[in-house]
Amino acid sequence: MTQVSMENVSKYFDDGETVANYRLNLEVEEGEFLVFLGPSGCGKTTALRLIAGLEEPSEGAIYFDGQRVDRWSPSDRNVAMVFQNYALYPHMSVAENVAYPLKIQGVPPDDRDQRIEEVLRFLHIEAQASKSPAELSGGQRQRVALARAIVREPSVFLLDEPLSNLDAKLRQEMRSELKRLQDELEITTIYVTHNQEEAMSMADRVVVMNRGTIRQIAPPEELYSRPRTEWVARFIGSPPMNLLRGTRQNGSIAFGEAGSVDIGETTVGGLETVPRGDVSLGVRPEDISIATERPASTTAIAGTVDTVEPLGEYTVVNVAVGDQIVNAKVPTTSVERDDPVYLTFDDADAYLYDENGELLT
Amino acid sequence: MSLRDHIDGLEADRDTASGIDREKAVAIVIFLVPGLTLFGIFSVGPIVYSAVGSFFSWDGFSMESFVGLDNWIRTFADPLIIHWDNIARWRFPMGALTQNLLWVVLHVPISTLLGLGMAVLFADLKGRRILRSMVFLGFTTPTIIIGLVLMFIYDPQAGIFNELLRVIGLEGSVRNWTQSPQVAIYALIAGGIWVQTGFNMLLYSSALAAIDPSVIESAKVDGAGRWRRFWDIVWPLVRPVTAVVVIMGIIWVMRVFDIVYAAGGSAGGPNHSYSVLGIEVYRAAFEPPIDYGKAMVVALIQLVIVAPLALYIARMD
Repeated sequence: MTQVSMENVSKYFDDGETVANYRLNLEVEEGEFLVFLGPSGCGKTTALRLIAGLEEPSEGAIYFDGQRVDRWSPSDRNVAMVFQNYALYPHMSVAENVAYPLKIQGVPPDDRDQRIEEVLRFLHIEAQASKSPAELSGGQRQRVALARAIVREPSVFLLDEPLSNLDAKLRQEMRSELKRLQDELEITTIYVTHNQEEAMSMADRVVVMNRGTIRQIAPPEELYSRPRTEWVARFIGSPPMNLLRGTRQNGSIAFGEAGSVDIGETTVGGLETVPRGDVSLGVRPEDISIATERPASTTAIAGTVDTVEPLGEYTVVNVAVGDQIVNAKVPTTSVERDDPVYLTFDDADAYLYDENGELLT
Repeated sequence: MSLRDHIDGLEADRDTASGIDREKAVAIVIFLVPGLTLFGIFSVGPIVYSAVGSFFSWDGFSMESFVGLDNWIRTFADPLIIHWDNIARWRFPMGALTQNLLWVVLHVPISTLLGLGMAVLFADLKGRRILRSMVFLGFTTPTIIIGLVLMFIYDPQAGIFNELLRVIGLEGSVRNWTQSPQVAIYALIAGGIWVQTGFNMLLYSSALAAIDPSVIESAKVDGAGRWRRFWDIVWPLVRPVTAVVVIMGIIWVMRVFDIVYAAGGSAGGPNHSYSVLGIEVYRAAFEPPIDYGKAMVVALIQLVIVAPLALYIARMD
């Protein structure tokens, strides 16, 4: 078990023309399952490669258990990595693939065979031991890559979008299997994905990244219940959080023709300290109810139904409020296009973001 | 439509169903005729002609009487083809066949290793495109020009090779390299290697480019150092290309002619000291005294060595 930390780590490519990572600060606890989440091109894979030792930071320092490692080779750091395309050695059998890191470490053949057998059994691929990677299915290749990574008992386990090449059903299966694996092995794990469902379901903590920087580090529930910026709020959740531009005046927020809402207390407390000015009101689609009559409660926004998308499990109603569209996720609904409706929500489910997109507290 | 027509129609259908499609077969034959004709006239014909001709005596260009293996025995006993006495003493000339095989033994492994080495060296280099083009230029240059360039390089007075020797203080080794019987063949082989290395490097470069970079990185993470990564991962993955490189090298060398001709004329150097099979064919066929039977036998020796290799390449996946 190893503790990993990054201190002001930046990575530039092309003589500083491209900034892949900018001032990353991060502490990964021993045995933690940490997920880097972000859209493609956000620098999450580069961050992982920096930790792996496949890239050297342009600035800053990386520590493993307090020891500075950023000039160390991957093998000196004793990290294991699973690549997106598995990167199995095509000319070696499954058993040889798994044996390779042990062979390099100089593990004696008897010991080696025993460990390979154990790990292949652990991942249910013992029947494939003598096959070549080309003969395996995607899921099996994935398991071989995992086997090769865990067989040498690494101090840190790095996974770069390991499930993105699998079909939906297999992805779900492997997700829980990976979680089980990590729980049992208790290896510090850093996992990169652009799939928020994967991140939320597996992570102890999620690192949300965008444009080379870290936007928020939080456990999944907190990320969902308290997104610190507008960007994170919109990135987490499906459909994403509604953000309505309005103007804050005394105890209410005005939305022009759509009316205004009085908000006593949002998710993060009272509004007394919030200055006047432009704000965004954020409400998750699942927290919005739709009424056809103006409700007695004062937090109601008037709008017109634009489209209705029944998805079986729930229905998404898109409501036009002024020139903005608000999504509401409701169990069932009888409203139709062009119906006038009122959107209501609890004060406690509302978020306010200032002009810079920061959560107002 | 009568019943008869109907039944005929059914039979015609059955004909097609059993896989005999006459129209298609005719079309295939028609399309094959031009290609096969040219192949027959220019490839199969001459081979058969010389195979037959090698068992006959010749008067100039006209076939005379059947002489059995006479041409073959005469050729193999000819010191210009194999010179047993000189081979035993390792003195040139050793005969064109021996010298040609010496080309294979030296040229093929060296140019293969150099090609691989340069491909690996250039793979991660910044100016790799320019470097690769420069090395490959040797292969695109007509070999007769290479031969002439070699003459300049090895020239006793103006040649840069001798100049280099003088600069590094090896004054005693300065000589007319292409005209010194005991070393000239090595000088020419060096030129041949220069030509072939570019081609080999290009083949290896594309094989290297086809390796998934994450496989190499994976080996890096697994703890493999530079040498082990090459030996355990890169080399096995480019090995199929090595078969092509080696065989193409052997084929090229067995047919080598222009470099030798440019340096040593139709004699293949002073006292035939670096003659090769191609030179012997040329002299026997086109220079008096014309010995057509011998020319055919020597050409067939070349073919017998090269054809199985070419066939192997053609059948590779």
